[in-house]
Amino acid sequence: MSASEGRRRVLLQLGSAAVFLAIVAVAVLIVVSANQTSGGDVSLEDVGAVKRELRGIPQSGLVLGDPRSKVTLYEFGDLKCPVCKAFSEGIVPEVIDSKVRGGEAKIGFKSFTIIDAESAPAGAAAIAAGAQGRGWSFIELFYRNQGLETSHYVNDEFLTAIARGAGVPDIGAWNRDRKSVATLAEVKRTSEEARRLGFTGTPSFAVDGPATKGIEALGTPGSAGTLEEAIDAAG
Amino acid sequence: MKLPAEATLRMVATFVAAFGIGVATYITIADSGGGAPACIAGGSGCQTVADSIYSHLLGVNIAVLGIVGYALLLVAALLRGDTARMAGFGLSLVGFGYSVYLTYLELFKIEAICQWCVASAVLMTVLFGLNALRMLAYVGRPA
Repeated sequence: MSASEGRRRVLLQLGSAAVFLAIVAVAVLIVVSANQTSGGDVSLEDVGAVKRELRGIPQSGLVLGDPRSKVTLYEFGDLKCPVCKAFSEGIVPEVIDSKVRGGEAKIGFKSFTIIDAESAPAGAAAIAAGAQGRGWSFIELFYRNQGLETSHYVNDEFLTAIARGAGVPDIGAWNRDRKSVATLAEVKRTSEEARRLGFTGTPSFAVDGPATKGIEALGTPGSAGTLEEAIDAAG
Repeated sequence: MKLPAEATLRMVATFVAAFGIGVATYITIADSGGGAPACIAGGSGCQTVADSIYSHLLGVNIAVLGIVGYALLLVAALLRGDTARMAGFGLSLVGFGYSVYLTYLELFKIEAICQWCVASAVLMTVLFGLNALRMLAYVGRPA
């Protein structure tokens, strides 16, 4: 056998080995993927719409907007609350566009659990998503896929689907975070803060800025304009 | 059966890879605008696929990986010799395998078909065929 034929044979053997390895790799990928069912069976609405709405706006924890903004608008909400959902689809996007996107103000979400026992784990899941820079994406996507107030849909599968849809990069860490004592305590703390501010329902809003004396309660304004005026007055 | 000349295989592979760069670039641009590639016959399959968690790998849009893959295959098609033959074969094998996996995801996990992804999978399959033929017929032989 000539040297060139020998070389050809070696290269062909290498090619065959590569084909074999590729078949094994694809088979492993498919088997691993087939076993990942958690969160995969819940079909979500508006993943793209939320992505478009928040594109280009910084997220840190449960705060949306430029961290250098001096004014912060706070929403005290319950992810299971249908009125909060209506606000998140009607009024809040207007404020995001007019005040948050341009860096005039930032908006923070604080859990105020009033609906039922599923409200706290939902709020904790949002905080855990926030720890990975996807807090506001999680909140918005949760609202867009909210179930009936009286139904019990906030299970691991639903929350995982929301987290995946929101783009939480490390689902394992998010799972650990959302079940931690510290995260659940944070939900309790913000709910107590809401009561101290005199809030009795959700969503309730508050504002904090250079012209306010600490965080000032706004209640539940009926329009984006009222929230925008409060932001202007606080700046 | 007479095998096609290596020059012919390389020329066809060059055109297919260039076309693949176009398809992958379109998907990347459409997705970077927060949207999805427009399905030619309507429907929302492309939106569903673009919004799924499988559209990004380690935070990178897989269409960007596609552009890189097609660009490397274009270079392999333009170059002569065993290194280019083996590189073209190896790259197209990886691309083909990944396309099989992505098609599986579309059919059984995402349950939506994006025509642009299918187009890319077809192009990658053609490139794998061309590069496999080039390798089998000409590797170890003078360029």
